[in-house]
Amino acid sequence: MIGLTHYLFVAAVLFASGLFTMMTKRNAIGILIGVELVLNSANVNLVAFDRYLGPGRLDGQITALFVIVLAAAEAALAVGICINVYKNLSTVDVDSATQLQG
Amino acid sequence: MNGHTYEIALTLGVVSPLLSFWILVFWGPRLGKPTAGWTAVVLGMGVPLLCATYVLVGWLDAINNHNAAELTAKAVRYHWADLGAVPVTIGVKLDSLTVAMYFMVAFIAFWIFFFSVGYMAGHSDEVDHQSKYSRFFAYLSLFGFSMLGLVVSSSLLFLFIFWELVGLCSYLLIGYYFDRPYASRAAIKAFITNRVGDFGFLIGLMLVYFHLQTLDLDQAAAKFAEQYAAGTGIFGSSYTLFGWSLATIMGVGLFCGAMGKSAQFPLHVWLPDAMAGPTPVSALIHAATMVTAGVYLVARVFRLMTPDALMFVATIGCLTLFLMALIAIVQTDIKKCLAYSTLSQLGYMIFGMGCGAWIAALFHLITHAFFKAMLFLGSGQVIEGCHHEQDMRHMGGLRTKMPVTCWTFFVGVLAISGAGIAGTQMGLGGFFSKDEILAVAYARAFEWDDYRKHEAHESHDVHAQSEPGAPATGQLAGTKGRRDEGACDTTAAGPRAILVSDPPAAHARPVPHGEFGKASIFKRIQSLPKWMFYLALCTAYVTPFYMTRCWWMTFMGKPRDEHVHRHAHESPLMYIPLVVLAVGTFVAVYFRPLIADASTAATAAPLVLATDGHVHTAALTAAHDWLKFGVGGAFIVGFIVAIAIYARGLSTAERLKRAAGPIHALLEHKYFFDEVYDLVWVKGCILLAKVCRFIDTWFVDLIFNILASATERFAAFSGLILDNQGVDGIVNGVADTSLMVSDAVRGPQTGRIRHYVLFAAGVGTVAIVLVLLYGSGSTESVAAVATPAIH
Repeated sequence: MIGLTHYLFVAAVLFASGLFTMMTKRNAIGILIGVELVLNSANVNLVAFDRYLGPGRLDGQITALFVIVLAAAEAALAVGICINVYKNLSTVDVDSATQLQG
Repeated sequence: MNGHTYEIALTLGVVSPLLSFWILVFWGPRLGKPTAGWTAVVLGMGVPLLCATYVLVGWLDAINNHNAAELTAKAVRYHWADLGAVPVTIGVKLDSLTVAMYFMVAFIAFWIFFFSVGYMAGHSDEVDHQSKYSRFFAYLSLFGFSMLGLVVSSSLLFLFIFWELVGLCSYLLIGYYFDRPYASRAAIKAFITNRVGDFGFLIGLMLVYFHLQTLDLDQAAAKFAEQYAAGTGIFGSSYTLFGWSLATIMGVGLFCGAMGKSAQFPLHVWLPDAMAGPTPVSALIHAATMVTAGVYLVARVFRLMTPDALMFVATIGCLTLFLMALIAIVQTDIKKCLAYSTLSQLGYMIFGMGCGAWIAALFHLITHAFFKAMLFLGSGQVIEGCHHEQDMRHMGGLRTKMPVTCWTFFVGVLAISGAGIAGTQMGLGGFFSKDEILAVAYARAFEWDDYRKHEAHESHDVHAQSEPGAPATGQLAGTKGRRDEGACDTTAAGPRAILVSDPPAAHARPVPHGEFGKASIFKRIQSLPKWMFYLALCTAYVTPFYMTRCWWMTFMGKPRDEHVHRHAHESPLMYIPLVVLAVGTFVAVYFRPLIADASTAATAAPLVLATDGHVHTAALTAAHDWLKFGVGGAFIVGFIVAIAIYARGLSTAERLKRAAGPIHALLEHKYFFDEVYDLVWVKGCILLAKVCRFIDTWFVDLIFNILASATERFAAFSGLILDNQGVDGIVNGVADTSLMVSDAVRGPQTGRIRHYVLFAAGVGTVAIVLVLLYGSGSTESVAAVATPAIH
């Protein structure tokens, strides 16, 4: 029987993968993908908790939808930044974007 | 003839030397040796001489036509500035005295300029050949400007300005050989001694300004008379000093200026030293013109003199004329001898002024200017010819080498001695002028009390008869015409003394009843102490002696120094002026009517005595005849005594010198004036300076030093401790701290996303672990919520 723990386990794996991706990738797009993984792990948690802890209530699901929308907006914004970074530096390596460093 | 033409001509003559000065200052060195000199002769004095001649001729004509007074009255005054409420006007004082003085100055200066070209030609200027030559003529031109300006000034203030300018020129020219210490010292001495006199002048000027509320000469005199009559203003003050009223102090103050400039005792010390200048300068400035400016000043402010002030003037003049004549006897330097004779003659003029011999003193001024200029130029010729030997003991026998100089000099000796034949009109300038001064002095000393009583009585009668408001002073004024008559009526008209009080109508102003009226004057004017007259008379005998001695030692006898004698020579450029001035000495007597006219046209003075006026006693007539023989005979006595002593060289003189002993020493050291002044003033000044220095060091400086060290300590405290450690410490501490903090904060901020992520993950992990370990409540609730759903 698949219970809440399984969902939480998947979400944790997703979160850890996302976090790991963010930490290890130098490619900006890769980092974005990591961010998406983290956000989606949170969505999985939200929906799972909604289903098991508050049945009949839609709070968690609505919040998950809200996160998806925000993530879409965030992705659009971040990809825009990436394109601009690429235009200026001919690369999307985040380590080379050091112009604003003191 | 329009009077303004004369004013313009006189002004042109004043400005022309200034132009010459200007040219010589800027282009003098480029003009070179003779050209610069001739520029000064032509532009500096030629033009003024032409102007002066033109004005003189026109003026004599105006006097004959009796419209001179009108021209004087019509002279223009320009408003120049306001000193407080007192307007200062500038204008030409157009009267007979100005015309006479102006012509005299221009004429003598012209020939001295001319002489200077010859004198300076042989001069080797050791400092800077070219520029020094032109500088001499530049200074001479500036002097011409100042002296002529002084003569024409209508205002006391401008008179004072030009007065200082001539003093400056005197200073510059005495110090012409400024590379020789004695010359620069003499220049400084002259300048400082004059400052002493000018201080008095300034005090007088301030009193005039303050109490008379005007600086114009004529207006001041009018105000003075007004205030005298009303007893207000300067006469309203009860202030006294040494028993002198304020009005007397004013007169004495103005006279102090004259004492400085005319080198009167006790300010005479600068004039003999001034002989350090080139000889033409001595002739022009220190014999003929500038030193007589003092007499001119007294003549101009005569109407501001109270009887007490005039008595002071007479005393000073009398002491000067006698004491200086005695010094002249023992001088061996030819220029010094002439300098002391100048002092003595200036004393005569001042004495004459003080006695009331206004006309005679100015007349003596003019005649003296001619013969003394000539004597000095003669000495200049001798000095130049003898290669700057000035000691008469090394001269002698020069008549063969310099005949023209010798005989013109002799004319000068005759003139200064007052040689003339009594009872005739034959005589040289000095005869008439000195004779008249002595006659007036005699009248003041011996006849005055009788005369005073007599006139006071008569005046009383006139008062009784005349209507109120009729001028009380007018009754004896009808003598003007007589004074115009002739040059030599000093002797012809006989010895007479008169109180010339002008008709006030001549000044076109209403005169209060009794203003300077005889009755009131006679009450105040004392008779002259008799010793003054005796001293003046004695000096008339001393003068021919020392002048003959000077002439004889220089020109006659046997040559005492072969070297000097062998090289002696004279040059035409230099003896032409001598001859001209010698002729001038004879002609100078014709200035008398002009000056006599000035006394009526310009002087409503309380006391003007002249010999050609109203006869008042038979006794004076007889006495004056005797006097005339005295003055005329003085020359013979002096001449014979001098020749008796010096005919056989210096041996007799040496014997006399030993016999006289202390008296000779006293005279040779000039009564120790220089020594006393050195002791009192110079040493006194140094002593005072030392005292001041002591006070300064031990009192004033002490306070300052304490203050200074306190300030220093406070500054050290506030600077090193308060500021460096306190204020700076706070500021630096803030800076250091922020630097440290930012350094510390800066470390983690790497700018790499993975680090932030790692950091965030780390923090999150730690937070979860902490929540799991300690936040048991919430964990349990989660577990509690979760459990039923699973089941």
